[in-house]
Amino acid sequence: MVVRRFSRGVLLAVVAVLVLSPVGARGGPLEVMQGSEIFTPPSDSEIPKGPFGDLVRKGERIFTQTGRFARHYVGNDLTCESCHLDRGRKPYAAPLWGAYVLYPRFRSKNHMVNKLDERIQGCFRFSMNGTPPPVTSETMKALIAYSFWMSRGAPVGVKLKGQGMLSLPKPASSPSVLRGKKVYVARCALCHGMHGQGRTSHGGQVFPPVWGKRSYNKGAGLFKVSKLAGFVKMNMPLSKGDTLTDQESWDVAAYVDSQPRPAKPRKRSRS
Amino acid sequence: MKTTFSALFLAAGIIAIPGPSGAASLMDWGRHVAKAGNGKPGGTACMECHRLDGGGMPSIGAPRISGQPRQYIAREIREVKEGKRYGPVMAGVVQNLSPRDIRAVALYYSRAKSPKLPDVGPSDPALVAEGKHIATRGFWKKNIPACVQCHGPNGYGVPPLFPYIAGQNRTYLLRQLMAYAFLKRQDDPEGLMRGIARRLTMAQRKAVAEYFSSLKPPVRDVP
Repeated sequence: MVVRRFSRGVLLAVVAVLVLSPVGARGGPLEVMQGSEIFTPPSDSEIPKGPFGDLVRKGERIFTQTGRFARHYVGNDLTCESCHLDRGRKPYAAPLWGAYVLYPRFRSKNHMVNKLDERIQGCFRFSMNGTPPPVTSETMKALIAYSFWMSRGAPVGVKLKGQGMLSLPKPASSPSVLRGKKVYVARCALCHGMHGQGRTSHGGQVFPPVWGKRSYNKGAGLFKVSKLAGFVKMNMPLSKGDTLTDQESWDVAAYVDSQPRPAKPRKRSRS
Repeated sequence: MKTTFSALFLAAGIIAIPGPSGAASLMDWGRHVAKAGNGKPGGTACMECHRLDGGGMPSIGAPRISGQPRQYIAREIREVKEGKRYGPVMAGVVQNLSPRDIRAVALYYSRAKSPKLPDVGPSDPALVAEGKHIATRGFWKKNIPACVQCHGPNGYGVPPLFPYIAGQNRTYLLRQLMAYAFLKRQDDPEGLMRGIARRLTMAQRKAVAEYFSSLKPPVRDVP
C-alpha cells in the first residue's frame, strides 16, 4: 500500500514535470536567463586546482575549440559550443548541467539505456559528422569531467527548467520552406551566409555553417525540424533570442533542414 | 537577329568589365579624396582625422580604419549620410561624397596599413581584465554573447560586415557603445549592437573598450 501510494506520487510528479516543462512557465528571454528557477552552474573561479581542475579546463577547451583540441574526432567546422551556447551553460541551448543529471537513460533513438559517454559519442557521429571518441580516450574523459563539474549541485534524474531545447507548440500553419527562406535571408544570412556556409575570420571558422558538407549530418538532433525550431526560437539571432515568432522559427527550421547536408552514417561503430 | 543581339551584349560586357587600370584609378581616386577631399564644397580630406595611413586619431576619438573591410567602410559612410549612424563630425563631411567617391575611399583605406597608435594615458589593468572576461566569455545573465563571437577571435573582425575592434582606440570604442545605447547610432544589422550596448553597465562598456584598445590590430589579410 505504502509502495503503491508512493509510486502514484512519483507518477503524478512525472506527469507534472511533463506538463509544466518546458513551455509552461516561460517568460521573455531575460526572465529565462535570470529566473531563480534556472539552475546556475558553478563559476569558473571555483574550478579547483589539481588534476581534476586541469581535466575540467581541458574539457572546456575541447568544448569551445573542438576542431583544434579533438581534431581526430571532428568531421566538420562546428564546435560543441556551436549549439551548446555559453560554453554549455545557456538554458534552452541543451546545457550540460541539464543533460548530465539525466544519464544513464533510455533513448528511443537507439532503443537502449545510454550512458553519457555514449550520448557524447552520438554528438561526434552526427552533429560533428565525425568519429566517436573511445570511452577511454582523453577527449572523452575531459568532456565527462567538464559536464560533471558543471552539474555540481544539480538534482539527479530531474528534468531541470531550461534543460535540452524548448519544445515549441505546433505552428498554426505547417512549416513552410518558402517562408522560411525569407526569414533566413532577413535574420540569419548576416552571420551564417546566403549559402549556409557560416563565416570565417583570418582563416578560422567563426559563425558555424548551418548546412552543406561542413555542417551537421542527417543523423543529428537538429536535423529534426521541431528541435531546430525550439533552438532557433530561444537562441537566434545570437543575443536576440525570443524575437522570432513561433511560426517564423518553425519555417526557418524547415528551410535550413531542407538544404543539403551529409547523410546519416549507416552503422553504429562500437568503441 | 539573335546572334546580333548576343554579339552586342558580349561587346557591351567586354567594355563594361573594368580592367586593371579601372581598379587602379579607383584606388588613386580614393587616395586623392583621402588626401585632399573630392574638391566639392565641404569636401574635407579624410586624412585630417583618420590620417593618410588610416591610423585614426586616438586623442579625438577618430577611429582607425586602415584594413577594415571595404564593404564595411562604404556601408558606414552611407549610413552616416542617410542619418542612420550618429556621427556629428562625419555627417557634415560625407554629404558631398558621390557613390564613386565612397567606393574609392573604402577601397583605399581597406588596403592602407598603419601601426596601432597609442591611446591617451595609460590603460587600467583591472578594467582590461574585466573587459577581457566579457569579450571572451560574454555576460549571458543579461544575454550578452562574448564580443569575439561576432567580432572574431581576438576581435579581428569577420568580413565583410563585422569590423575588427582589436587595436581600435579606446575613446572611439566607448563612444560607439554609448551611441548604440543612448544616441542615434542605428546602423547595426538587426539592432544587435543596440541591444547589447544597452544591456552593458557603464563600467562594463568602459572595460570592453579598454580591453580591445589594449590589443594589437590585425595584420591585414582580408580580401
